[in-house]
Amino acid sequence: MNKDMKILVVDDFSTMRRIIKNLLRDLGMTNVLEADDGQTALPILKQGGIDFLVTDWNMPGMTGIDLLKEVRSDPNLAAMPVLMVTAEAKKEQIIAAAQAGVNGYVVKPFTAAVLKEKIDKIFQRLG
Amino acid sequence: MISDTGSGLSHFEMELQLKAQELVSVLNEGKLSDAMEVIRELHEFRHQTFFSEVGHLTRGLHEAIKSFSSELGRSLDVDGTPQTETDAAERLNYVIEMTEKNAHETMDRVDRALTFVDKLDKQSERFKDLLLLVGQLEKEHDSLNGVYDRTCALKEESEQTISTLREELTDIVVSQSYQDITGQLIRRVINLVTNVEDHLVALMGMAAQVERISGVEMSAESEDEQTNNKNPIQAEGPQIKKERADVVSDQDEVDDLLSSLGF
Repeated sequence: MNKDMKILVVDDFSTMRRIIKNLLRDLGMTNVLEADDGQTALPILKQGGIDFLVTDWNMPGMTGIDLLKEVRSDPNLAAMPVLMVTAEAKKEQIIAAAQAGVNGYVVKPFTAAVLKEKIDKIFQRLG
Repeated sequence: MISDTGSGLSHFEMELQLKAQELVSVLNEGKLSDAMEVIRELHEFRHQTFFSEVGHLTRGLHEAIKSFSSELGRSLDVDGTPQTETDAAERLNYVIEMTEKNAHETMDRVDRALTFVDKLDKQSERFKDLLLLVGQLEKEHDSLNGVYDRTCALKEESEQTISTLREELTDIVVSQSYQDITGQLIRRVINLVTNVEDHLVALMGMAAQVERISGVEMSAESEDEQTNNKNPIQAEGPQIKKERADVVSDQDEVDDLLSSLGF
């Protein structure tokens, strides 16, 4: 896993963005950008240079699942690893996220260990 | 005008009986045109009774909505122009803001604490050099026998403590996620409250129209009573609008007020 990779954290709650940023920092990843919903995230992604997307689901404007679909349908972004960190816990939703092509799914509230494990797993799979 | 629903309906039944008897008797007498007149009266009477009942029902609804909306902290106008945000929604938003601010303050403190943990880590590094020196001295002085090993054990213990401390601090940061979880739930309730209010405004408008048509007047005094009867020192919990003239904004204002009263 490249520690210098550029990560975009998308969540409408600043508290959660900060928690995720702190945990990424513990993993040695400090190159982190923030956005508060899909609508503000998408232009940042389209500008290029982002290596990893961590997004919430339930957000005003554009939701995380719609953002994921946008990412997968854009040929420049389609291959980007996406981790969903959300309170949405219905099986149907998790299945929908998987079908939309999510790489990992963490349900809030989570522990530091779980988040780290899921991130590790994503990058192990990608090699 | 009928005063309340129960007596209104029993009056209706009584009147119906009388008219029915009248109808039978004029028919028996062969007065067909009189019979038609009685039927017309019956028809009109039924119409009027129903109208009046609907009017009363609507008025009851109107009053119920009014008292509910005063609970919510928003006065619903008959013409249906609501304020942008109710006290209820505002209070809930305040909870979100308050918890967000506090979560960040907690994380600020944890960040500061973590810089001390980093410092401890660096001190531990420096300790290593000192230990090497102790190791050398131990060989030259018998009296220092075992000091190196004991100091090493202590250093390891201390490093273990530092690492546990770091984990605990990280857990404090992660546990702030309660703010996100509770905030999402509160937002849903805010939406619910706002929806209910919008529907009530619509109902209110309908009720006012029915009242106008049915001739049941809204009593203005019932509203005034409500406001006047409100106990001014009833517990309200934390105040959100600190700039309100009837609310103190900090302890200094409390002290000033008390000292002006001779305390």
